[in-house]
Amino acid sequence: MQEEIIAASSLCVRLNNQTILDNVNFNVAKGEIFALLGGNGAGKSTTLKTLLGIVPPSEGSAAVMNKSVKTDIDFIRSKVAYLPESVMLYGHLTGVENIEYFLSLADITCSESDIERALVRVALQEKAWRQPMSNYSKGMRQKAAIALALLRDAPILFLDEPTSGLDPNAIDEFNQLIATLAAEGTTVFMVTHDVYGACQIAHRIGLLDHGKVVGMFERGDQSHINTEEVHSAFSKRNKR
Amino acid sequence: MKAITKVARDEWRFWHRTKLAATIIVIGTILTIASAVINTIKMQEAMHERQHLQQSSEAQFLDQPDRHPHRMVHYGHYVFRTPSTLSIIEPGVDAFTGTAVFLEGHRQNSAMFAEQRQASGMTRFSSLTPSFLLQVLVPLFIILIGYGSVTREKEAGTINIMVTQGFNVWYLILGKYIALVACALLMLLPLIVAAIWATFNGESALITSSFVSGYIFYILVWSGIVLAVSTLSSKNSTSFASLVAIWIMLCILIPRIGSSSAAALAPTAGKLEADFSVLEELRKLGDGHNATDPAFEQLKKNLLVKYNVDSVEDLPINFRGTVAQYSEEKLTIVLNQFAEKRMIEELSQAKIARQLGWLTPTTALRSFSMTVSGTSLETHHRFLREAEQLRYDFVQSLNNAHQNILSYQADINRHKDNAAARVSADNWQVLSSFSFKPDTAQTRLTRSLVYGGQLLFWLVVVLVVLRFAVRRVR
Amino acid sequence: MSLFSNLHRETKFLAKQRNLQLLFATIFVLSCFAVWSGISETTSQITTIERLIEKDTIDREGVLAKQSDYGSAAYYSFHLTYSSPSNMAFAAIGQRDIYPWKHRIRMLAIEGQIYETDADNPELSFLGRFDFAFLVSVLLPLFVILLLHDIRSVEREAGRYDLLVTTSKRQQRLWFSRAIVMCSALSIALILPFIAGALYTQASLATTGLMLLVVLGHITIWMTLTLTFTASKAAVKQSSAKIASMLLAVWLAVAVLVPVISNIAIEKMVTSPKGGDILLTQREAVNDAWDLPYSATWDEFLSTHPQWKNGIDMGPTFEWKWYYAFQQVGDQKASKLSNAYREATLKKDKLASHFAWLSPPMLTQRLMSSIAQTDTYAAMRYEQNIRNYHKELREFYYPLFFTENTFNLDKMSELPKFSDHKEKSKG
Repeated sequence: MQEEIIAASSLCVRLNNQTILDNVNFNVAKGEIFALLGGNGAGKSTTLKTLLGIVPPSEGSAAVMNKSVKTDIDFIRSKVAYLPESVMLYGHLTGVENIEYFLSLADITCSESDIERALVRVALQEKAWRQPMSNYSKGMRQKAAIALALLRDAPILFLDEPTSGLDPNAIDEFNQLIATLAAEGTTVFMVTHDVYGACQIAHRIGLLDHGKVVGMFERGDQSHINTEEVHSAFSKRNKR
Repeated sequence: MKAITKVARDEWRFWHRTKLAATIIVIGTILTIASAVINTIKMQEAMHERQHLQQSSEAQFLDQPDRHPHRMVHYGHYVFRTPSTLSIIEPGVDAFTGTAVFLEGHRQNSAMFAEQRQASGMTRFSSLTPSFLLQVLVPLFIILIGYGSVTREKEAGTINIMVTQGFNVWYLILGKYIALVACALLMLLPLIVAAIWATFNGESALITSSFVSGYIFYILVWSGIVLAVSTLSSKNSTSFASLVAIWIMLCILIPRIGSSSAAALAPTAGKLEADFSVLEELRKLGDGHNATDPAFEQLKKNLLVKYNVDSVEDLPINFRGTVAQYSEEKLTIVLNQFAEKRMIEELSQAKIARQLGWLTPTTALRSFSMTVSGTSLETHHRFLREAEQLRYDFVQSLNNAHQNILSYQADINRHKDNAAARVSADNWQVLSSFSFKPDTAQTRLTRSLVYGGQLLFWLVVVLVVLRFAVRRVR
Repeated sequence: MSLFSNLHRETKFLAKQRNLQLLFATIFVLSCFAVWSGISETTSQITTIERLIEKDTIDREGVLAKQSDYGSAAYYSFHLTYSSPSNMAFAAIGQRDIYPWKHRIRMLAIEGQIYETDADNPELSFLGRFDFAFLVSVLLPLFVILLLHDIRSVEREAGRYDLLVTTSKRQQRLWFSRAIVMCSALSIALILPFIAGALYTQASLATTGLMLLVVLGHITIWMTLTLTFTASKAAVKQSSAKIASMLLAVWLAVAVLVPVISNIAIEKMVTSPKGGDILLTQREAVNDAWDLPYSATWDEFLSTHPQWKNGIDMGPTFEWKWYYAFQQVGDQKASKLSNAYREATLKKDKLASHFAWLSPPMLTQRLMSSIAQTDTYAAMRYEQNIRNYHKELREFYYPLFFTENTFNLDKMSELPKFSDHKEKSKG
């Protein structure tokens, strides 16, 4: 078996007397792209926040690189690059300045040429690099945030609804980039409600419903996971 | 119209459901009620105390035994400034000016025993007077209640829905304006009650209604400012931060900057320094206690000629009394000249500070409120002038008794035979009773006209800004 | 990562925020104005005192030259007393606008003169002065609240909070260093004009340092309070505006309500004789004396000045020594009330200093005016100086009244001179 990077076992989260996650189990191997799929309120974001140490688990455990979120969150955060759903960086700073700022938060010093290389890699047009971020479109902001994630050189990437609001071209570019990163050994954990997108990119999909993992789909030898199959499972669940 | 009231009612419902606004209204109203009650009690006590002191001071004067009349000139008399009726809401300069003046011959004393001089020093910034609450804190409360009026709709996107449905933005803004004003008026209720009370206690209805109108204008202005900023802002947080910054500027900073600038721009020499010149002038006049002072040689000659006698001993009147009367008259002219100059300087200083009413509605209202209620510097000056008039009258009446009743012989031998150099205590009746009344309603209203104008100017400015803001929404 | 590099990063970050720069620039301008108006006020007080000293000397010399006996010399000559502002007074005008700082006294009963005030324009005192102490005690908390209330919530509202928290190595350090950087910028904007002012007035290093400590202490209090509150559970789900409202409520409570309520409590706790009663007692005593037998005055006078018991015989005419003796007696009769009055003022001040612990703005205000020697205590000390000087005058004149008889102008050059005693440790 491959090295286990992310593991949730019997994970329960209760907030304000409401059970958000109920006995969730999954694990993600090194270099794998794992998507947690679910409708609104299924518990996707809570799972992500638990793994990031923002929401504490009520029962069970969540671990990243064999370190518990309860005890070693600083270590975990240093290994994880997180891409929020709507990337909002500082509007008054330029793309380069934003990246510099966030890198220094993570205690990483990068030369300007490193940053430029990363921006080339995420295909952000060069004229935008030194413009205030308030002028960026959503796709451009996303690209800057991915560049940041790349520069952090983190072995793990957390994505929250990464393709929502992007145009089809941008989605293709994005998927390609993620696939490359995974091939290079980066572990990718994403949460999404986009069945099609998840099937396109993920190696494995966990279907989350009302805080429970109700299905697991694997790509196997195919180029992508069978969309029909996942879709029918998803809509059946969501109709109830 | 229906749309407007609908919006207003909806706004009230929102405030009712989000407890914050309701809490602020309750706290604000309780604070103003508490301060109005406490201040009314305090001012009533002060009024009774000062009236009582005034009466006992008069009684004491009248009770003095037979004496040399000039003793009574130095014995002197106290007058007290009873507070005006509306000082229950706006005490104005009352705590900072002395409230009692000691009147005696040859001198103009300043008012003594200002309350602040013996206070704990805790109330230099804030005070629990209704006027402080209404002028400084109520705007903050209006901000806390209303900062999100429009930004809330923007953040929720509901304003776009309304606009695209063809709902007139003006109706929306007007509705919210009415709701906010109504809310703030609740905190004004204690003031209105107190004003009605003042009307029944002898204050002119014209004054009290103008007084209340001034405060209503102020609320209209602040509600307008809050709404305009909320309409111009895109987010709750920016609307809030801008409004708090504006509040600090308008309510706290500019009034004080005004008073500091006035002190720096138009410095007054101070009474002490003016006293040197006064003394210099007075020395030229001669000492009225000393009838042989060469300064009175001309007076003596004239009298001798007039009564056709050879020496002062032969005069039918007491020459020492004549000199006292003559020198008091001359001296008072000099004293009044300097006192008037000083009052004019003080007033022009105050007026510089009041000019800042064009820069902040708070100063405009404060000047308006003080001048209308009769607790401004002008009223204090009027008190000083009236006290001076009383002083001059009784001193000169005593000097008259000195001249006409006390014989010259008895007078110059007063150290040998003290008992003979006296006049009957009946002569003390010359003291007229003093009861200080603020200026007439008409004078006060005329005086406050320019500050009322400042408030009006602010209302116009705010409405123009509001109009501009509404245009931006469409 | 060191705290220093955190601070360095946040400083660079702050340097790019236009609206904050505008706020700091405004605060800097306000501080400049406060310091300028304070210096202009104290300079004008100092020059006024200089002018007065000069005029006073000329005036007295002119008057004395015309006199022919010591009694008239004492009666007609005035003596200037004053309390010049300390070098630090520009920063805190304190109570100097309601208590007098200049006074001319005569040999007459002191109780009849000392309550005369040459106070400032009452309407300006009522509006209040804008001095550095006001800026620091009342407005500084508002600035800190404005700067820091949304330190976390603005990131939440902009959707950056999770990213910041997960990216940053030690998130507490992030907020802390941001707060430190903003408050440092605030302090610099406030303090620079003050330091310039202190250099200009040549205030001592120690008082300048103490003043700075108070300013920094007050900033620290509000920074800690705001940071703690924004990190608390109560603030997590709240919008920026609501957090600020709650912090403003705290400000309102400590800057407005606590002082006002303390004032009411203090007024209830301390009973003071009415000022008017002191004057009345003194007036009755002095005026009655004219009509009373001489012995009534002498008995009272000798009880405190037995050394003159052989000098009390009276001639057939008015004698100055008797006149000044009953002035002295007037003071003696009023002294009980007068002492109680001053004690009450000091007691109120003392109580206020205890109550001030409940209100950081009040405490700051009091500390600053105490360092600048512009507080009630300093005013009372000045009043004591006047009384002491008046006593010196009496001690100078009494031997002249009771023993020597011929007026000698040269003797007048030995008149005691008023000196403005300040506490040595300060100023």
